[in-house]
Amino acid sequence: MATTAAAPAFAPGKAAEYGTSGVWSWITTVDHKRIGALYLYTALFFFLFGGIEAGIIRWQLALPNQHVVSAEMYNQLFTMHGTTMIFLAVMPLSAAFFNFLIPLQIGARDVAFPRLNAFSYWVYVLGGLFMTIPIFFNAAPNGGWFGYAPLTTMQFSGGLNIDFWVMGLQILGISSLAAAFNFITTIINMRAPGMTLMRMPMFTWMAFVVQFLLVLAFPVITIALVFLLFDRFFGTNFYAIAAGADPLLWQHLFWVFGHPEVYILILPAFGLVSEILPTYSRKPLFGYNVMVYSGIMIGFLGFGVWAHHMFSVGMGAMADTIFALTTMLIGIPTGVKIFNWIATMWGGQIRFTTAMKFGIGLVGLFTIGGISGVMHSSPPADLQQTDTYFIVAHFHYVLFGGSIMGIFGGIYHYFPKITGRYLDEKLGSWHFWINFIGMNLTFFPMHYSGMLGMPRRVYTYDSGQGWETFNLMSSIGTVLIVIGTAIFVVNFLRSRKHGAIAPNDAWGAGTLEWSIPSPPPDYNFAEIPVVTSRYPLWDLKSPDKTAGIAHSAPDSLTITDAHAVPMHEETGGKTAAQLGIPMPFPTVKPAIAALAIIVMFSGLLFMHVGKFSVAMAVTLSGAVLFVGTLYAWLTSPLE
Amino acid sequence: MSQKRPRQLASGVCIAMVALVLVACGQQYPNTTFTNNTDFNSDIYALWNRLLLLGTIVFVFVEALLLFTVFKFRRREGAPAPRQTHGNASLEIAWTIIPALILAMIAVPTVKTIWKTQAPAPAGAIVVQVIGHQWWWEFRYPQYGVVTANELYLPVGRTASFELTTRDVLHSFWAPQLGGKRDLITNHTNLLWYTPRDSLAGSVFNGFCTEYCGSSHANMRLRVYTVTPAQFESWAAHQANPAALSPAPAAAVNAPVPAKPAVNTASLAGGLTPPAPPPPAPVGAVAATEGYVFPRDKLNAWNVPMTPFPTGSNEVKFDDSLLAQGDAARGHELVGNMANMSKAPCLTCHIIKGEYPGVLKNDDMAKAPNLTHFATRHTFAGGVYNTDARTLARWVKNAPHMKPGSLMPTLGLGEYNPDPLVRKIMATGLDDRQIADIVAYLMSLK
Amino acid sequence: MATAVAHEPHEHAHYTTTGLDHRKIAIWAFIGSECMLFASLISTYLIYKGRSIVGPFPHEAWTSPDGHVFKPILNIPVTSQSTFVLLMSSLAMVLALAAVENRNKPKPARITLGYRILSSSRLWLGMTALMGATFLGYQAFEFTSFVHEGLTIRTNLFGSSFFTLTGFHGAHVTVGVLWLLTLLAIDFKRGLTPKDALIVDICALYWHFVDVVWIAIFTLVYLIK
Repeated sequence: MATTAAAPAFAPGKAAEYGTSGVWSWITTVDHKRIGALYLYTALFFFLFGGIEAGIIRWQLALPNQHVVSAEMYNQLFTMHGTTMIFLAVMPLSAAFFNFLIPLQIGARDVAFPRLNAFSYWVYVLGGLFMTIPIFFNAAPNGGWFGYAPLTTMQFSGGLNIDFWVMGLQILGISSLAAAFNFITTIINMRAPGMTLMRMPMFTWMAFVVQFLLVLAFPVITIALVFLLFDRFFGTNFYAIAAGADPLLWQHLFWVFGHPEVYILILPAFGLVSEILPTYSRKPLFGYNVMVYSGIMIGFLGFGVWAHHMFSVGMGAMADTIFALTTMLIGIPTGVKIFNWIATMWGGQIRFTTAMKFGIGLVGLFTIGGISGVMHSSPPADLQQTDTYFIVAHFHYVLFGGSIMGIFGGIYHYFPKITGRYLDEKLGSWHFWINFIGMNLTFFPMHYSGMLGMPRRVYTYDSGQGWETFNLMSSIGTVLIVIGTAIFVVNFLRSRKHGAIAPNDAWGAGTLEWSIPSPPPDYNFAEIPVVTSRYPLWDLKSPDKTAGIAHSAPDSLTITDAHAVPMHEETGGKTAAQLGIPMPFPTVKPAIAALAIIVMFSGLLFMHVGKFSVAMAVTLSGAVLFVGTLYAWLTSPLE
Repeated sequence: MSQKRPRQLASGVCIAMVALVLVACGQQYPNTTFTNNTDFNSDIYALWNRLLLLGTIVFVFVEALLLFTVFKFRRREGAPAPRQTHGNASLEIAWTIIPALILAMIAVPTVKTIWKTQAPAPAGAIVVQVIGHQWWWEFRYPQYGVVTANELYLPVGRTASFELTTRDVLHSFWAPQLGGKRDLITNHTNLLWYTPRDSLAGSVFNGFCTEYCGSSHANMRLRVYTVTPAQFESWAAHQANPAALSPAPAAAVNAPVPAKPAVNTASLAGGLTPPAPPPPAPVGAVAATEGYVFPRDKLNAWNVPMTPFPTGSNEVKFDDSLLAQGDAARGHELVGNMANMSKAPCLTCHIIKGEYPGVLKNDDMAKAPNLTHFATRHTFAGGVYNTDARTLARWVKNAPHMKPGSLMPTLGLGEYNPDPLVRKIMATGLDDRQIADIVAYLMSLK
Repeated sequence: MATAVAHEPHEHAHYTTTGLDHRKIAIWAFIGSECMLFASLISTYLIYKGRSIVGPFPHEAWTSPDGHVFKPILNIPVTSQSTFVLLMSSLAMVLALAAVENRNKPKPARITLGYRILSSSRLWLGMTALMGATFLGYQAFEFTSFVHEGLTIRTNLFGSSFFTLTGFHGAHVTVGVLWLLTLLAIDFKRGLTPKDALIVDICALYWHFVDVVWIAIFTLVYLIK
């Protein structure tokens, strides 16, 4: 069992049906850990893809009036860079951790709906390819990741480009929503005995908040996209200028989704960092309760600030005032988090592992993004900042300095748990420092180019505008990021096979997932643990260090320390069958159902080019395939 | 990793940041947002300075605290286990309240400035209708009867009140040195006003479209000339005049077009009612008074577009030696004569006030820039090219190659026209000689 | 070991923190999501209310440029009937669930007709589905008559937002009817027992939700002018 997860085998082997290795086993797997690994690999692939897009963008902008790529291709590149990084890289990287970690952290054997989980993954990967492949045919989405109407309507974007975007996002929405229902249920309903909500590890808490954001935000963009789809294919008037439509409808719907989306991207990284900092400081998270509440607060306020993306559209002084104030409010819980992280390290014994460096990097860099965020919460000032490179600088400090730093930290931290081997710390250190310097060199000068008047989303700019130095710096920084990321890729691929072997508790951490083997057996916990504190492993392993200091308030569950965590040594690597633990059957049905959804949507592409009968045939066959698969799925037993 | 390296790197980063600031101070920044050029921008600048000050204080404090913590509490061999603290209510309350206070220090002036800058424009303002098009700017001065494109004249000391609309997709109007931006929203009219300070007389500023609007979003730029009120009045009075048309060629012999002289130019001008209220100037007569035009030699280097001609598959080949032979009168015949419409359909989209009205009854029907005083503008094509004969010739020949996505069709003979409809309408294109004539004509529209 | 939970291999498969079935929690999350879906649709309808350039309009007459007079298009009496039918279907749904839940309860000494009616889950499931289908019939009638009167999804902002909103609701009712028919088929095939109460309960939650959404739509679109 251990070898399977240690070396995710993509090499085509003798594909024994429902085996544990070979391509077929990966297509049919319903194991949350293997699905997590699939998410990780796929999302890293898309991360590199989006990075290449960014590289071409920076190559084009390195010097004024350059034409490395055409305007058309550039517009596709920046649209797909944003869309890829948000929907195909950062969100699924978070999903990889949700999948892998949530059941382990709450003491469960799998997620609530393992097959739905597989379905989410397959919809994601197929939807991602659906959106990405067109760029090789110069037909990729080109309306920006925000896709403002009416530019995206048929009148102004007659090609297939926008269709790929609209349908791709709809498809990815299905994936995200299905996953969110799954994780909400898992966290509410599958916590081990004693794992009260206020004992949950902070990553699971932040993941929990994110699932609610997904559930409440995605329907809104679904509707906005349905309108656009109907406008493009059925001649409705939602964004039709001639019918008197209001383009702000799209903007409001988009940003009611789009702002919570920002927190969907950043909160998982906050969660990861809240696991990393305590581990390497050997201190519990400072102000756990406040961290939970501030996370909830951020999520809640996140729904009330969307129009700060629209200060320049002329909403009127009253709306500007209200949204300015709510936006400033959201700075408070975010600031609290930063201080609590610093206080977590204060008085600790900090080990500078690579994961810790990324964690500290997040705290330092996200602070910059947070400060510039407050700067454009002030509408009059924002009128000079919005749609310039200042904004590009801001959100890259949030998303690269925040999300990506946190996720890389998470990868270094959890790689031993996922694969049973450590990532190389020396290469990791190079990865961190080159990326850290490259990141700052790329994005810090953008504050300058923006405030010195450079608009966003321009495929070229004129010389003599005062932007040359800063753009060249940004492009040189990008080279460093590329080098740093290449080091990571080498490290990742090498360590998978040749890394140092990791024990169960690879880093001396305190939470449940470190109590089981690395990589965990398919059933995770031979015995469902009984949890008495936030850091049960610390209580167990170093009672001397924690003597007299409960990591959480005692409760009615009175059990001896020995029972606080499962005793894996006793199971001796037995299989689930030997232990009599029922495991869900592998099944290919979720993957087929996902494929059916892609087929259904693809029909509309034929409609665009006027082949109605083909469109009907394709969509109907997709629907039949979907319903048939769903029937087979629902009528076949889970385990 | 040794413990020294992070420190070295960190100090390296600090030095780099300082160097960046120094570099930033040593250059000229023609599009800087940090100016007091207008009342509006002074308000924004004051707000920005406060944001920057507080932001810097928070930045320095947090990062210093972070670095101190990280270095002070690094692991030491043999040190006792860290004390397991879980929180501290008073500390946590403190760092909730302090950020709230800092934010209040931002919120109060913010709200004041919002209401101040969004108040109605003061009376006596000059109204400028800014109309966005893919990918150029139309400026109308309804009080002066002026319609122009891509270049804006503003008198100093008088409030300019912009009414922003768009004919197609969303755009955003922004001249960074003069104030914040405001979006142009379809089916909305947005407002923005500011007053250029008196000291700006004789200055030029660059502006940009800052809402992504399709292929040539990067090529939608503008210039703002801030001039004295007297210069402005002179400019506006001249711009309101009909075009100064060149005399038509005496005989069809001169015209390279096959003789089909159905309409005599003189009778044409006399027989048809021009679209605009002011009566047409007599054909051939140069407008009586030369209006003010911002002198080209007073442009700064950064006001002059440096856009290179496209190369490779998009290169537009043109024999520049023909330009010297270009004849404005023949060009006038080509553009203004309905019979040549299938070759030179200029007036189906452009208005040249005083020229044969084509199919356009009013400015709202014009899909393309008003060319009445085209040659008084220093830039064209959304402000990405200089108004000169070489560029103009290539533009007329194949605009979509010169500017990605340009909605102006390809007019050059032998050039591939991607639009099948335009291909059908235009059985023949313009040859280089004819283009040289049209260029000469356009350059005469002073 | 300390707890029974840890020992019984088949026990913990069904162990849940809250004691509720996973599906019950998932359906609540799903309904939360659906609330935002319909909130977006209804908001759009309200934003575009009164902003159509051409008619027909919901509550006002409109004379087209060529002189044709369009009556106010919404027919409130007819839609009130369909609304009543849909509301009653929720009652039938409650009775269907009760019938399934009470199946194994001891029967009364005398089996009255009333008891037989109330304890027939087939009857009430069928009734619910039938009333749902009736509602859909009303909607089909409404849509076709609107199209005949000159309002399609392409006519104006009102047409686009009205048909999309009510169409989405109709699609939800359709899914509900198919769901109910599936339960009915299971009931006929092997009989629903109190063990199956959960799957009926989940369907009922969905059905009531769809019903409540219609009350919101009926009030905001039809009743408020």
